[in-house]
Amino acid sequence: MKLATIGVGNAGSKIVDRMLEFESRTDRNLCRHVHAINTARTDLAKPDYIPEERRVLIGDTNQKAKGHGVGGDVEIGAEVAKADLDEIRRAFDDVEIHTVDAILVVAGLGGGSGSGGGPVVIDALQEMYDEPVYALGVLPGEYEGGRPALNAARSLQSFVSKVDNFIGFDNDAWRAREQTIEEGYEQMNRELAARLVTLLAAGETDDSDVAENAMDSSDIIRTLDTGGVSSIGYAATQVEDTSEGLLDRWSSDSQRVNRDDGSQATKIKGLVRRAVNSRLTLPGEVSSADRALAVISGPPSEFSRKGIESARQWLEQEADTVEVLVGDDPRENSPRLSAAVLLSNVTEAPRIDQIQNQAVDAQEKIAEQEAVREEQINDLITDDNNDLDPVV
Amino acid sequence: MKLALVGVGAVGSRMVDRILEVEADTGRAFTRGNALVCDIARTPADGFDAVPEDQRVLLGDTHERVTAEGVEGDLELAADVAGADLPEFRRALDSLAIHESDGVLLVADLGSATGSGAGSVLVEELQGLYDEPLYVLGALPADDDGGTAALNAARALRSVVPTADSTLAFDRETWPGDPERDDDPEIRALATRVATLFAAGELDSPVVAENAMDSSDLIRTLEPGGVSSIGYASTDVEPDERGFLGRLLAWFSRSTDDDEATDAAKVKSLVQRAANTRLTIPCEVSSAERALVVLSGPPSELSRRGFESARQWLEAEADTVEILAGDDPRPRSSTLEAVVIFSNVTDVPRIDTLQRRALDVQAAREGEPASDDDADDARADAASETRDADGVDAADSDSGAGDASDDAPLIEDAEAVADDASE
Repeated sequence: MKLATIGVGNAGSKIVDRMLEFESRTDRNLCRHVHAINTARTDLAKPDYIPEERRVLIGDTNQKAKGHGVGGDVEIGAEVAKADLDEIRRAFDDVEIHTVDAILVVAGLGGGSGSGGGPVVIDALQEMYDEPVYALGVLPGEYEGGRPALNAARSLQSFVSKVDNFIGFDNDAWRAREQTIEEGYEQMNRELAARLVTLLAAGETDDSDVAENAMDSSDIIRTLDTGGVSSIGYAATQVEDTSEGLLDRWSSDSQRVNRDDGSQATKIKGLVRRAVNSRLTLPGEVSSADRALAVISGPPSEFSRKGIESARQWLEQEADTVEVLVGDDPRENSPRLSAAVLLSNVTEAPRIDQIQNQAVDAQEKIAEQEAVREEQINDLITDDNNDLDPVV
Repeated sequence: MKLALVGVGAVGSRMVDRILEVEADTGRAFTRGNALVCDIARTPADGFDAVPEDQRVLLGDTHERVTAEGVEGDLELAADVAGADLPEFRRALDSLAIHESDGVLLVADLGSATGSGAGSVLVEELQGLYDEPLYVLGALPADDDGGTAALNAARALRSVVPTADSTLAFDRETWPGDPERDDDPEIRALATRVATLFAAGELDSPVVAENAMDSSDLIRTLEPGGVSSIGYASTDVEPDERGFLGRLLAWFSRSTDDDEATDAAKVKSLVQRAANTRLTIPCEVSSAERALVVLSGPPSELSRRGFESARQWLEAEADTVEILAGDDPRPRSSTLEAVVIFSNVTDVPRIDTLQRRALDVQAAREGEPASDDDADDARADAASETRDADGVDAADSDSGAGDASDDAPLIEDAEAVADDASE
């Protein structure tokens, strides 16, 4: 499909940047429009692939933000985005909406700009366009602490109720080890970008004569139509490099597809199985999914109709739903065969419950501290009998 | 965070000078020379290298009671002088680009008459003039500085803390030194803490942070007001930028699990050290309402795992969920630094000690006008309490919690004042 992709906040912008990187490396063309929207000038300087003129600074005239972020405060994040709504709408003016199939908003839910500003941006988009608006939301890890959990638990409600589908990414599950801060984020974001782009770039041309099992945008839209929270699984394998010329390979490809090689079928089914059993972007109970869709992406010579059929049967059973689509996405020169599986409307995701519990505790703690704040400050600076006078 | 600095009094001015010096020495840029110092004396203090002549203001030079020695320890006079010379002060402020700053930091020795008296007046003035947050970096006197210093400081705290957006305290009992000396190492240490904290998130490094601690993060952390304390620790490391081959070799040599584990442990213990060793003012860390931690150093040394577990440890230690954590990559730096700020710490034994000392001095002064009907009784109580406390060290400050209910109305009054100030 073809997307307008909008990163809101620091995490969102970085992920969109990595999506563009993955696209350019794998010769895909998913994101026809990109924007990075942020409250911090510093963070907007970071992207390598998002063009300068597509980076929108909001809240620079807001006294609480001044172009320096919102201090991880979801309320200020929302406030700033609302105040600059006109600016956000103006930025979207040049989105040629007829050239895209859907809009994807990417944001981290633990901070302030993405979690607060994201829902405001989504509201504006839903109002302006008929195309479906999806979100990719990054859930903070438990180790990130109480305040991010509270931001996320609150923001999640806004996101899920406003978008046509919310794809979750759990930092806890993807927490990197043994790395520097920079490497850690880079790697997580690259993994996520590979999944998103492999899944959503299927049918980017919607060229029906490419292959009869080709996935197209309407399939993806239909699968995401459930609303709710979704998760993506992914697996990839290297394919053998054939040294034949392009023309030779092309003619032999069509023969091979028809031959339906048994080992290729096994490979494809195995790949889909591996994708589902791999670490999902948001770990959840596969059988609680409402619908499922698998994209097999790679050189057409590796495709197998039988493989697709048996993968579909397996997925139907695993996800416990008859709403399963499996299709391919031919990538002539790809050295990899990969499977991206979308589990749409997964209703059992333990991490979300954990975040909610952590958020409730955090909210109580914050309220307790605020309630005694003034009294404690006064106790500190005043002697027991209030005999010492202020200077002024 | 871009700051405009305002130094008040001889020591406050010198502290500003040191902060500018550290800023220049470490290649940071958060004040960019945006500083003003003022003092009440016939002769402006010498020995300032970093603050240019035209950014030094002389207050009270036409005041009849001001001598060549300044206010000679008279807090009321200092306050009076500052109040009278406010137009002069405002004019001097015009040379500062305050609206381009994200905040103002007033620096003063609250134990000195000028720092306490003029400082309190100028804090109020600055708070009224600008929308930007106003922070105070206030030095609190050591026991050896005498009772008057304690009284000055205790009274200044009552004015400054409710007025300023947050008061960063610097305890000279913990950080002894000679304030008259130009090269006081303790002041330099303080300046390092201030620079590391406020420079994080400024675009003065070639490498962009993953989670930059921007001014909004600091402002939010300091938002509760009250008294704050800064912790800091550093350790020597190899800088990242040392030529391609060196980097390559370093990359190969450090990619083992053992090294990674060491890196993580190094970062975590550094943050723990920052929070546990000499804070700018010793306090019960768990009484903090919010905290912020910045890890600064060569990017290859900033272990993600180490920083994550350090942040988690800090959340438990400070007993708050409001913790912001950021990295501040400095490829050319040969030190790994951690700076922590505990915001609104309410259990600060040293302040209780100063108050007891101040009450003693106040009671001893003759002709002190009674402030209310109960004053005599209260003073007697206070005096006996002071005697009780004399032999005991600062640890008995917990008694603050046992405030009798009879002073409840006074606290209500004080609350009203504080409410006023915080809005």
